[in-house]
Amino acid sequence: MTEPVTDAVAASAAEPLIRVRQVSKRYDTGTQALSGVNLTVARGETVCIIGPSGSGKSTLLRTLNALETISEGEIVVDGVRVHDRRTDLNQLRTHVGMVFQQFNLFPHRSVLENLMLAPQRVLRQPLSEVEPRARALLAKVGLADKADARPSQLSGGQQQRVAIARALAMQPAIMLFDEPTSALDPEMVGEVLDVMQKLAAEGMTLVVVTHEMGFARSVAHRVVFMDRGELVYQDAPQPFFEAPRNERLRTFLGQVLK
Amino acid sequence: MSPSRSQAGWHLLTVVILVLLGYAMSMASRQVDYVWRWDRVPQYLVITGGTDVLAPFDGTVGFGTQGELLLTPLQGGDPVAIPDVAVIQVSDGEVVFANNTLGKQEGWSAGPLLLGLLVTLEIPVLSLVFALLLGLVAGLGRVSPNVAARDLSTLYVELIRGTPLLVQIFIMYFFLGTVLKLSAFAAGVAALSLFTGAYVAEIIRAGIEGVPRGQTEAARSLGMSRGQTLRHVVLPQALRRSLPPLAGQFINLIKDSSLVSVMALTDLTKAGREVVSSTFAPFEVWFTVALMYLLLTGGLSIFVRRLERRYRHD
Repeated sequence: MTEPVTDAVAASAAEPLIRVRQVSKRYDTGTQALSGVNLTVARGETVCIIGPSGSGKSTLLRTLNALETISEGEIVVDGVRVHDRRTDLNQLRTHVGMVFQQFNLFPHRSVLENLMLAPQRVLRQPLSEVEPRARALLAKVGLADKADARPSQLSGGQQQRVAIARALAMQPAIMLFDEPTSALDPEMVGEVLDVMQKLAAEGMTLVVVTHEMGFARSVAHRVVFMDRGELVYQDAPQPFFEAPRNERLRTFLGQVLK
Repeated sequence: MSPSRSQAGWHLLTVVILVLLGYAMSMASRQVDYVWRWDRVPQYLVITGGTDVLAPFDGTVGFGTQGELLLTPLQGGDPVAIPDVAVIQVSDGEVVFANNTLGKQEGWSAGPLLLGLLVTLEIPVLSLVFALLLGLVAGLGRVSPNVAARDLSTLYVELIRGTPLLVQIFIMYFFLGTVLKLSAFAAGVAALSLFTGAYVAEIIRAGIEGVPRGQTEAARSLGMSRGQTLRHVVLPQALRRSLPPLAGQFINLIKDSSLVSVMALTDLTKAGREVVSSTFAPFEVWFTVALMYLLLTGGLSIFVRRLERRYRHD
């Protein structure tokens, strides 16, 4: 496999795992989805992105693994310039896991096969290596007994936990979560957040777009507020929620924390 | 859900209407002085007398000790035994010439209508195989990011869907068939494959577009290439969705195949025409032919309905 394009200094330990510099995105229709966003995420850090719908938080997350293109600026993930033409995106994506709002499990495959497909096909790892790891991951998310089930036989919370395990099966360096609990019934939100909290505690790097203020407050190392395509404010959870020094954030928090 | 009493009543009304229609039709046919001769039809389905046994050469008929038929060549030589003649139609000492009828074999054989039915099964089955391959390629072309592939497959689909099948068959038979020296059978299969392939392409395109975008995004976010995503994630789901409409297209193919009878191909429809010209019983023969098509397509559509029910749950 070819080595990804690296910055000369990227390997140094002090370098953040994700660096977003002056990123803007305009649609052809003229809508400004992102404007001048700057963000860094250190290795092992958990960052939550909050904001009203349409604020660009999901778009920003999806630019990190190039599911969305950008118009200006630069994004470096794990030493790789994501939006460089020469970047092998498939190679980059193998170490950036992603979890979607709608789970997006493969309905024609069993739960275990969902976990094993990419490691076998993309990383070309042998079954003898992939299967034990997949089963261990299912046990970790509390679904060891569902290995042979079809995704459609699982509840929303279970499906989302499988989706997390599927992303983890690639042994990624970073996990991106795009509103992972927004499509869930309220009683299933907890089981998914528990898994995410466990990951954060193990030192995985997490970037989470969420509406769960409780999770952001208790698990995140840093919370980021976005509004109208701009990264408006960021701070550690306690000052962020208790003493926000920004008018737009205060208004937003006033609305959601009622 | 069990049918209620009121529904049974409506079914009864259907039957009454059908009976009345049938009565009206038989009255109408009496008006034109038509003599129904249904008894002439079965012999064209199955020949019970068996096939004729023909003399292999000129010779004199004789019989052996067990009554077996012997033929002594006129040019001289030993008598030759003629096996498997159940009904002998020649007498001792009679002189016959090559290809004269000696008698009939035992058993039954398929009549022209049944033979035509076989061709009517064979042509669509063969055409379906090619149509699936062609349709898969064109269907993938329709959703391809490559502009040339998209243009070509769109052109193909629009050309085929915009012209009548009968005209396509004529072009295939008289133009391409002559240029490429295709047999009538090959030309028929080629025309039906090209025609059905365009519809298969649209079915497959719809199947691919019906797979949620999130499936592709999930696969790509796991590092799978465009090709891997298509092969392992999108196509398996798209083909599953396409199965019921594809089976329906096969039923259309069976019916459309009746048009190849315009070439020198003896399918069920052509066999029907031939039988009509020898029986002068067009009403009976065409009703029989229609019923035979109906049995084929009816059986298949029950199968299709099962498929649809099975895949609706996914």
